[in-house]
Amino acid sequence: MKKYFKITILFMIFFLLGSIPILAKVDIGGELAASLINFIDNEGNISTYLQESLDLELFLPTLNNTQAKFEIYLFNNPMSGGFDYLIKKLYLKHKFEKLHLTLGRQPISWSFGSMLNPVDFTLGAMAMDEETGAKYQDAIEAYIPLNWNSSVSLVAAFPEASQDIKWGLRGRTMIEGYDLTLNYVRESEIDFIGTIIPASQRIGFTAKGDLGPLGVYGALGYYFKDNDKGDLAYLIGGDYSYFFEAGNKIYFQLEYLSMKKDNLSSILGPFFAGNVTNNLNENIGLILGMANYGIDEFSQVNLMAISSLNDGSIIVIPGYRNQLNNNLSFNLSTAIYFGKEDTLFSSNVSEGAQQKPKGMISIGLTYSF
Amino acid sequence: MRKVKGFLLIGIIISILFSSLMAITAAELTAEEIINKRDDNEYFDSVRIEAEMIIVSGGRKITKTMVALSDKKNSLVEFTNPQDRETKFLKREDDLWMFFPDAEEIIKISGHMLNQGMMGSDFSYQDIMESDKLTDLYNFEIIGEEEIEGRLCYVLEGIAKEGVKVSYYRRVGWIDRERFIGLKEELYTQSGKLLKETKVNEVQEIEGRWIPIDSVMENKLRKDTYTGFKIVQIDFNPEIPEGTFSLQSLR
Repeated sequence: MKKYFKITILFMIFFLLGSIPILAKVDIGGELAASLINFIDNEGNISTYLQESLDLELFLPTLNNTQAKFEIYLFNNPMSGGFDYLIKKLYLKHKFEKLHLTLGRQPISWSFGSMLNPVDFTLGAMAMDEETGAKYQDAIEAYIPLNWNSSVSLVAAFPEASQDIKWGLRGRTMIEGYDLTLNYVRESEIDFIGTIIPASQRIGFTAKGDLGPLGVYGALGYYFKDNDKGDLAYLIGGDYSYFFEAGNKIYFQLEYLSMKKDNLSSILGPFFAGNVTNNLNENIGLILGMANYGIDEFSQVNLMAISSLNDGSIIVIPGYRNQLNNNLSFNLSTAIYFGKEDTLFSSNVSEGAQQKPKGMISIGLTYSF
Repeated sequence: MRKVKGFLLIGIIISILFSSLMAITAAELTAEEIINKRDDNEYFDSVRIEAEMIIVSGGRKITKTMVALSDKKNSLVEFTNPQDRETKFLKREDDLWMFFPDAEEIIKISGHMLNQGMMGSDFSYQDIMESDKLTDLYNFEIIGEEEIEGRLCYVLEGIAKEGVKVSYYRRVGWIDRERFIGLKEELYTQSGKLLKETKVNEVQEIEGRWIPIDSVMENKLRKDTYTGFKIVQIDFNPEIPEGTFSLQSLR
């Protein structure tokens, strides 16, 4: 069914392209990036590879409330030595009077401004500002606007590793200046390299607003289990800006996440997965912080850190960004893992366990067009 | 001959009286009237603008392009330059929402971000998207008259009204006496520190209104940095479809 779904969407897009008058403006844009990525292990050995990528998007004009989108991400795969690709977007969206219908490969993201999201449609789709491909889904989304700030959306997705449909339902509104959402997700049964991960359900609630000069936000999630003893996860956070005398500003964000270790690797995503193979029923408390300092109009430094309050292990992620001109920017980011052996974010793991890097440095340029 | 002299004298007296009357009438314009005349020029029921924002710092220059739609209370801005293409902001009263085009998600932006520079510029989100009338936010008084670039201007001082949330506690504006358009403005904190200064480089009369089409905002706390704002196209009172200033229109 998924194969025919993609082929049908492709035909519909070609049909739409053919219907557009020749003089209509079709634009191509995207981003070309090249980064030198260095991994450092516990012995100080450095392995380097060049990451090149091209993100290409077709900007098609909207025709009679119908919009087509196509975006493809090409990148070199260090494992295979060749190039690989990810279709980020390949969808048709039609805006009816009281319903927006989107069919095809599309991003499904239920973010609310936090650094980690325990109640996203796909857990780990966005972690610590690092984007993963997890949010791009073959799906049908029905979005029903109720008023200017309230809506209900229903998603039926077709995950790669499943024959089943993954369902999601999200309601959104605003009360007393707080942006509120309530959602439900039914994960389909997944066949992961021969291992069957059973279907599961979860519900989530998020809130975001202001408390005086602070921005505040929170999330509460409940993961249903077969034995009726579900898992609770919650997150609370805040953000704040401070302006210096000299005109520069610094932005802070701090949040606390509590959840079962069993669910943590999904939330953290592949980059920050940590050592989550033992004591899966243990409740983990994570504290995350971020500070971003604007050096001038074009450059900024930031420092992120994520720490486990259970064992004191920590990942420190400093970074620097400089926009060199209209289209070209320079990025430097590092990640350093600290912790005793077998702690959550430690690079020291017992013999037999999957080795983790001690640190990572990435230096790169990005060109937008 | 006597009659000619007599008529001439009467004519001179009438002219003097008339000029005095004009002067008195002009001087009698209150601060609120001046600001209202300025608002008549610069305040719209609805407007669509295509504009360029040129951010300059230490010799480096970056240009952002945008399309903005505003009515009396709401604003919608979409960036069109390659790096920020399809990024959108929606301001409804004191709430700011941002659309991230890559993830196609809409996030409510915290209130303290409203005073931050939009996309790294010296114009804050509040500066760009503010749609309230100045007379609703400030109490104005005339503090003098000065000439700017050959144009005689009223100098007005505005102090924020109590209980009203504003970005700048005090503002001093130079308003062209003839055209009632602001040519220069200084923006201060409550402690008296000069934060920003705006200067208008070029004005144009469009559909009977005088519009600042090229202006510069300078951050007075930093050296060698300013942001230019150029209006490329402006349409007054365009038809804005219902539901434009909504979260669903950001998607």
